[in-house]
Amino acid sequence: MPAKPFDLGDLHFDKKGDAVAYLNTMLHKYDVGDKVSAEDAKVLMAALARHPEGDEKIGSGVAGFSVRTADFNTKCFWVNRTDGSTMKFAHRACVYGKVRPG
Amino acid sequence: MSLEELTKWLVNEGIKDDVAVLTRRTVRTELDHLEPEPAEDPDIDWHRLLFAGSILARSEIRQHQEIALRIATGAVTLADSQPVKDAGAVLLDKLSNFRTVALANNRELLETDLEGRLGLGLRMEAQRRKLDHSVLMESSGNWLQVNDFQQRFWDSATKNTWLSASAPTASGKTFLVLQWLINHMRSAETRVSVYLAPTRALVSEIETNLTLLLGRGAEIEVSSLPLREKYDAAYEGGNKLILVFTQERLHLLANVLGDDVHVDLLVVDEAHKIGDNQRGVILQDAIERLERTNPNLKAVFISPATQNPEELLADAPSAADVDFVDSDSPTVIQNLIVAEQVPRKPKRWKLSIRQGVISEQIGVLELSSSPGTLSKKLAFIAAAVGERGGTLVYANRAGDAEDIADLISQLIPPVDCTDKELVELADLAKKGVHPNFSLASLVLKGVAFHYGNMPSLIRQEVERLFRSGKIRFLVCTSTLIEGVNLSCRTIVVRGPRKGIGHPMEPHDFWNLAGRAGRWGNEFQGNIVCIDPDDTTAWPNGVPIRSRYPIKRESDAVLETGDGMADYLERRADTPLSELPDVGQFEQVGAYLLATYLRLGSIEQAGFAKRHNPATIAKIDAQLAALADTIEIGSNIAERHPGVSALGLQSLLNAFRSYQKDVENLIPAPVESQDSYDRFVTIMRRINEHLYPAFMPDSLIPLYVVIVVQWLKGLSLAAMIRKNIEYHHTHGRSYVLPTLIRQTMELVEQVARFRAPKYLSAYMDILHLHLREIGREDLIDDYLDIGTQLEFGVSTRTLLSLMELGLSRMSAVSLYEKIARDDLTKEGCMQWALERDAQFETMDIPAIIIREIREKLLADDKDSQDTLSS
Repeated sequence: MPAKPFDLGDLHFDKKGDAVAYLNTMLHKYDVGDKVSAEDAKVLMAALARHPEGDEKIGSGVAGFSVRTADFNTKCFWVNRTDGSTMKFAHRACVYGKVRPG
Repeated sequence: MSLEELTKWLVNEGIKDDVAVLTRRTVRTELDHLEPEPAEDPDIDWHRLLFAGSILARSEIRQHQEIALRIATGAVTLADSQPVKDAGAVLLDKLSNFRTVALANNRELLETDLEGRLGLGLRMEAQRRKLDHSVLMESSGNWLQVNDFQQRFWDSATKNTWLSASAPTASGKTFLVLQWLINHMRSAETRVSVYLAPTRALVSEIETNLTLLLGRGAEIEVSSLPLREKYDAAYEGGNKLILVFTQERLHLLANVLGDDVHVDLLVVDEAHKIGDNQRGVILQDAIERLERTNPNLKAVFISPATQNPEELLADAPSAADVDFVDSDSPTVIQNLIVAEQVPRKPKRWKLSIRQGVISEQIGVLELSSSPGTLSKKLAFIAAAVGERGGTLVYANRAGDAEDIADLISQLIPPVDCTDKELVELADLAKKGVHPNFSLASLVLKGVAFHYGNMPSLIRQEVERLFRSGKIRFLVCTSTLIEGVNLSCRTIVVRGPRKGIGHPMEPHDFWNLAGRAGRWGNEFQGNIVCIDPDDTTAWPNGVPIRSRYPIKRESDAVLETGDGMADYLERRADTPLSELPDVGQFEQVGAYLLATYLRLGSIEQAGFAKRHNPATIAKIDAQLAALADTIEIGSNIAERHPGVSALGLQSLLNAFRSYQKDVENLIPAPVESQDSYDRFVTIMRRINEHLYPAFMPDSLIPLYVVIVVQWLKGLSLAAMIRKNIEYHHTHGRSYVLPTLIRQTMELVEQVARFRAPKYLSAYMDILHLHLREIGREDLIDDYLDIGTQLEFGVSTRTLLSLMELGLSRMSAVSLYEKIARDDLTKEGCMQWALERDAQFETMDIPAIIIREIREKLLADDKDSQDTLSS
């Protein structure tokens, strides 16, 4: 099966794997505790909209994104909501449309 | 025959055998569970001994004074005839040992009106001695009766600008210094004094004692918080101020005040600790910092039995009048007893007294069970020999202390476990630490343990009840030689170590052993050393009495010759983790570099004159090379003693080359959800650029959890609870006593020591960077992170409660009930006043309620005098 192109906002990727790699690189340029820059936040906003549980993750609305600790000593993106609450999400799920890609 | 020859003859021949008999008899009265002995010692010829004693009392030599003291004490406590007892009392008087005479009177060993029974000559002599050995408290017009050392201290401290005083442990140093300090504050122009003590434990003890001595409504404030409010008030016509600090806290205050810091009088307690590895140089730096801002600083150094107290005067300003007072006089008899197992009889232990090289058998101790382990040996022997109480047992580790205390509690006769004070302490241990914290059940049996990482409120209550006799056995660790003023009747030791693994140096051993004998409360003190010939326990044997050599940490390092210059050369381009001798050189290296940045050459510094000019020149050249790479000013380096300017510069460079949003460099408030993660990254940044303070990297998440919880104002009990929950949720096994101790240790060592030191340096450099790039808007000057961490507070209310003098444990406990986080001191007092009647219904431990009432609610109850020397 030929690779399907994939778009995140203004960004175009030839295949989903490239989008994941792009987001991986973005994730790893941040230290835990960092706020994500406005530019990267735009991409993440587009990504989160494609997350299968996107509505639930977005909740009251998005104030911004952070990189914070995930399980097993790893890190992941977190959405900071306008009501002050916060929730982590897996960027792979935004691309593959599955919470736990097989 | 000269007096000297006579004295020598008396000791070596004349009364040698009589003293041996006397010693044996006095020591036997001190020890419990000795097997009865059929043969009676021959009668003692008291007249002969007392006459000899009065000759020996004139000698300056410690051994002679000890014999005179033993004769006098023996006469008062053992003799049947009143004239002999009277003569014993006169001999004590001759030794200026008025406290022991008072003790004999209290115990009704002397008939009343001793003076009336003395002849005119003796009466006049006694009167004259009393006058000679009194000092006038100018502030109150009262006379204070003192011994020879105390008198010399008082006169010299008053006359000189710099004084260094040394006397053995338990000779009434602290009591006298505090009296002198208060008198000086009241009668001189002094506005602000600083009392430096090496540990937080001693700081809180001194603060409590000063507050008690001053009483309510005093015109002198006492504080241990490095905040400027009371300091400013003292110079603006308000109350005078005594600040009680560790050296680190003094630097915190000096950082807040900047160049304005001006202290009139500095008292340095346990001043020999200027030689401690890593913290000694921070103490030296603190002293020099005050001296720089006030060249007329008056300074008093106090140390326990040191060889060279005058060493501390070497850096006094050239115009200062300096003096040292040194005493080696015994105040109370100390029996050094060794316990050796009778061959093939593990329950029978032979006890002998050691005097110099001579050992004299005292008797045989019968244990109820065979001690199979080392902990059991200590526990069984202590429980047997010291059953009457006042018994201190030295354990090498906190865990051992808990185990030994538990063993002792199983062996001793039960005590009244409904005693209110013991029940209240048990309650505090349960609520303040954990419901199953073993201290709670132990104290109900009159046994306790004691170590440095314990919350100070609990530790101080343990000490208080041990002094009062309700706690009969106390098992302690090296915290006690690090500076807690606690004496005992009997101390039991086997192979003592200081820290992990290092056999105790003789002077440390004698600092510990010196606590045997409560001057004014007991006639004798006993040091029981188990297995004296076991070379594993005592690699160098039971140490002979010795005194601390005072040597500054900086001097010791500089004397390594090329060691320092060599280190500095490698330090420039080697990662710290690859330098094997960081522990030895980094702190002093930081001090030298800061000095260089300030003066342009260390050849100008005061310490340079004590060292080989070639060594100094070589180090100077290395420092010059390093200084070339440093842009931060000497004022920033000065603010962070022990943190190298190289590290500070490297951190600044890292900030400058940081590509992302600069806001990411700032810690998030602890209430914020990303606070934890921010601290994780900040600690990593500190490890990489400043100093590897939070190692290993894999433990950073744990360190951060502790730091965040501590700053949030969580109680220790809550932190322990959360730690247990964490272990449960992650399916990890744990041992409760160990987990409790580890949590306490993390709080003390990480949250209260390493984190404030390095995080406040981080913040300073960050602020420098933010100013450089014009982002002052991001600087929040609320309260220095170092101060927040030292006290474990991040809200105004908690800080106010601690400013009012509450311990953190009480402040946090009360804060759980207070809704607002922005209360001032007045607001907190008002809150407490409105709820005074309800405290008992709030499930707050009674000891905490007592502290709240003492500190927050003005009642006029006379403060109890629990001051000890």
